Amino acid sequence: MSTYLQSFLRRILRRRLMFAAIVAAIVAVPISPMIAGASSASSGNFPVVLKYPGGAVTISHRPTRIISLSPTATEDLFAIGAGHQVVAVDSDSNYPKSAPHSSLSAYQPNVEAVARYRPDLVVVVGDEGGLIAALSKIHIPVLVEPAANTIANAYQEIVSLGRATGNRARAQSVIASMRTRLASIVASAPPAARHRTYYVELDQTYYSATSSTFLGGVFSLFGLKDIADRAAGAASGYPQLSSEYIVATNPNLIFLADTICCGQSPQTVRARAGWSSMTAVRKGDIVALNDDIASRWGPRVVVLAEDIRNALVRIYGKS
Amino acid sequence: MSVVIRGLSVTLGDAEVVSGLDTDIGGGGWLGLIGPNGAGKSTVLRAIVGIVDYLGTIEIAGRASGPIDRKERARMVAYVPQRPQLPLLMNVRDYVMLGRTPHLSLFASETRHDLKIVDEVLERLELSRLARRELGEISGGEAQRAVLGRALVQQAPILIMDEPTTGLDLGHQEQVLELTDELRHERNLTVVCAMHDLTVAAQFCDKLTLIDHGRVVTSGPAREVLSLERIAKHFGASVTIIDNPDVGFIVAPQRRGR
Amino acid sequence: MLLVRQTRGDLASTRCRAWQLLLALIVVALAVCTAAFVGPADLPFRGVLTTLLSKVPLLGVHSTLPSNDASIVWQIRMPRIVLGGLVGAMLAVAGATYQGVFQNPLADPYLLGVAAGAGLGATLAVELVKSFANWPVSPVPLAAFCGGVLAAGFTFVLGRSGGRYRAGATLVLAGVAVAAFFTAIQTYAQQRQTQTLQQTYAWILGGLSTASWQQVQIVVPYIALSCIVLVMYRRILDVMSVGDEEADSLGIRAHRVRAVTVLFATLGTAAAVSMSGLIGFVGIIVPHTLRLIAGSSYRRILPLSLLYGAAFLVHADLLARTIASPAEIPLGVITAFFGAPFFLIVLRQSQRSP
Repeated sequence: MSTYLQSFLRRILRRRLMFAAIVAAIVAVPISPMIAGASSASSGNFPVVLKYPGGAVTISHRPTRIISLSPTATEDLFAIGAGHQVVAVDSDSNYPKSAPHSSLSAYQPNVEAVARYRPDLVVVVGDEGGLIAALSKIHIPVLVEPAANTIANAYQEIVSLGRATGNRARAQSVIASMRTRLASIVASAPPAARHRTYYVELDQTYYSATSSTFLGGVFSLFGLKDIADRAAGAASGYPQLSSEYIVATNPNLIFLADTICCGQSPQTVRARAGWSSMTAVRKGDIVALNDDIASRWGPRVVVLAEDIRNALVRIYGKS
Repeated sequence: MSVVIRGLSVTLGDAEVVSGLDTDIGGGGWLGLIGPNGAGKSTVLRAIVGIVDYLGTIEIAGRASGPIDRKERARMVAYVPQRPQLPLLMNVRDYVMLGRTPHLSLFASETRHDLKIVDEVLERLELSRLARRELGEISGGEAQRAVLGRALVQQAPILIMDEPTTGLDLGHQEQVLELTDELRHERNLTVVCAMHDLTVAAQFCDKLTLIDHGRVVTSGPAREVLSLERIAKHFGASVTIIDNPDVGFIVAPQRRGR
Repeated sequence: MLLVRQTRGDLASTRCRAWQLLLALIVVALAVCTAAFVGPADLPFRGVLTTLLSKVPLLGVHSTLPSNDASIVWQIRMPRIVLGGLVGAMLAVAGATYQGVFQNPLADPYLLGVAAGAGLGATLAVELVKSFANWPVSPVPLAAFCGGVLAAGFTFVLGRSGGRYRAGATLVLAGVAVAAFFTAIQTYAQQRQTQTLQQTYAWILGGLSTASWQQVQIVVPYIALSCIVLVMYRRILDVMSVGDEEADSLGIRAHRVRAVTVLFATLGTAAAVSMSGLIGFVGIIVPHTLRLIAGSSYRRILPLSLLYGAAFLVHADLLARTIASPAEIPLGVITAFFGAPFFLIVLRQSQRSP
């Protein structure tokens, strides 16, 4: 009995912690990575001091043995030309293909397994399992790049990684290119799509994202209105919506960001009890997204925006 | 109904606690099992009730008890355990009512007939006043009577009692035993009873079987079975036996060295 | 004469009285009505009423709601209420049964490892079957059901060798071991596949947010059969309270009664949790509250647990979907929030009585 109780509570707690970590990260992001004080004048000058929510790290020389325990950071690093400095990435970092994949876990990192690579920089999303303290004992610097909640934050993290790895110039050009491409994608979206309502689904029990999240921010670029915003007060930026609210609100568009994790598709949505009466379901305005891309805040946000734009063009015609 | 035991052996774990035991009692008789602690008295009783596996034969009213269906046997043999497991939150009446179980089919409820039997027994045992009280709220003696009540409402012709007077004061001891004796005569009840008080055993039982180490030492009327030598040998006790027509048969303990 | 007067109108004081059943039925009806008329989608009372009545054959009532809203009532709200009622009834009855046959006030339906087994089944199904599009029924509940039954079966086989009259205690200990073992495998399997973590958590945390009539149809036979059988055993459970040996002396085969009731309680529980995920505390709170109010006899506790269990979970789910509307609060959180403090009270009481 007590074993069951314990494990039950532990599960709830663990789940809560996962979300709490996301929440904490999101709340803290506005003060997120920026260069402290009078930093080096030219790119590639070390040491650099980088601040992150709840701490700071000093990187004494240009790192050449980087471990990324963050799928987003992995994408960022390879985009800014630091890929050759990376020696290992975690088991969830599945992009780019050329990244040195390993079985390192981002959720339950094993200090010894990380240390075995003799890294000179470890990039993480959060301080899972006291990793920072453990690695600092053996003088391995850890840079925290928490989940971004705006595109601006995502740019800042790319800049921060550029400074940390001595690739400032490339980082700046990556951001510049992202900015231009996003602007042109948004410009090419049909005006008829503006102010349309949408529901974005993170799993098949109707967890969603409000517009104050990174994902919601991408939809906002197109002037789309998030139906999860009404639940914003309830639970961080990721509320679980009730089915009847979604159906009653009858959003114009349904985006599925749970196609890979949870096997959802326009077919499975159509088969849901009571959903067939929704306009979006009847008209087939259901858009399957790649959840890997939708759950990261790296350079591939451009691909996400393109997917959304293409769907809007299909549904609302050319601009 | 008679109870005849032949060649009874019971093994619990690795230990043979009863070996090749023979004894019997005729219908309406009272058989007392006596012997030191651990002699195997309780085990013999449990074998008769059918809640312990045994070798040998136990005949109830001339039928081998082994093949008798459990429920039918519960209508023939009622059992008062030495340390009953009392559901403390249950009230006395409901507890006594459990004794009607062997008369009910699995999913049936009791009828007014069952209830009448229960209330009669409660009256008889002077428990009517306590009928609504929970078992956890009454005294040990009252609870002991409730257990006896449960066995009596089974209306079985054979009553098995394992040291039924343990923990009772003298008055209640006497009350329980006298009542059992009355019922025995009224209903021709056969009683098999493990007893530790040898005087009481001698007073109430028609026949005593002295058991030690799972074997019968001797069986017979109290005056034959209870001798100073046997009590010294098997109980390790020195006693005085008083046997005179005025006071009856009394086994009195004696302090050593006096 | 005196005896006759005493017995009249006093047949078996422990029997469940008609007014108690009636009251419980009214509570269930009220719970269902409240839950049917209240929800994140603000629907007019008359509209909901006509939609519900339109489903009653021969009445000739037509729903006054637009089809979208009507399907919210009938396809989303109602199955959720019915599934909640079924799961609540099953967990409460199974909990009461387990407490009875194991003579353990803290026993709950997950005692023999059903929860851990179902959790493992669900986790494996989530990981191994990547796409569910071509399955008529999601394999997750199916695997959860099989896992739950398998774990309880293991417990039963392992715990049986505990000697004739210690079987209950041995079974409970075997259950603890089996649950720990299955939970270990489940945790390992879950950590290995972080991509599907969210989906596994969603199931384990429990909830009725995706309830459908199809799910109701699947679980109804199991739950109905289990509940009927267990309620039939209500008097026998009272007999079990004197312990296995004395129950045997009263003509009951205690170990067989335990085997049969545990089998049905487990089947029903596994079916319930396969659809609802792991909802804790219902199996403990409901029977224990009833014990405090209606006494310790299972003749009352079992039928009343059935009804109040249903009412409790319908209410809990109503809170889960309305407190933070339109967001949901996990159902397990609601039941635990009310259950955990209650659990402590029961614990203190059971320590006080000898």
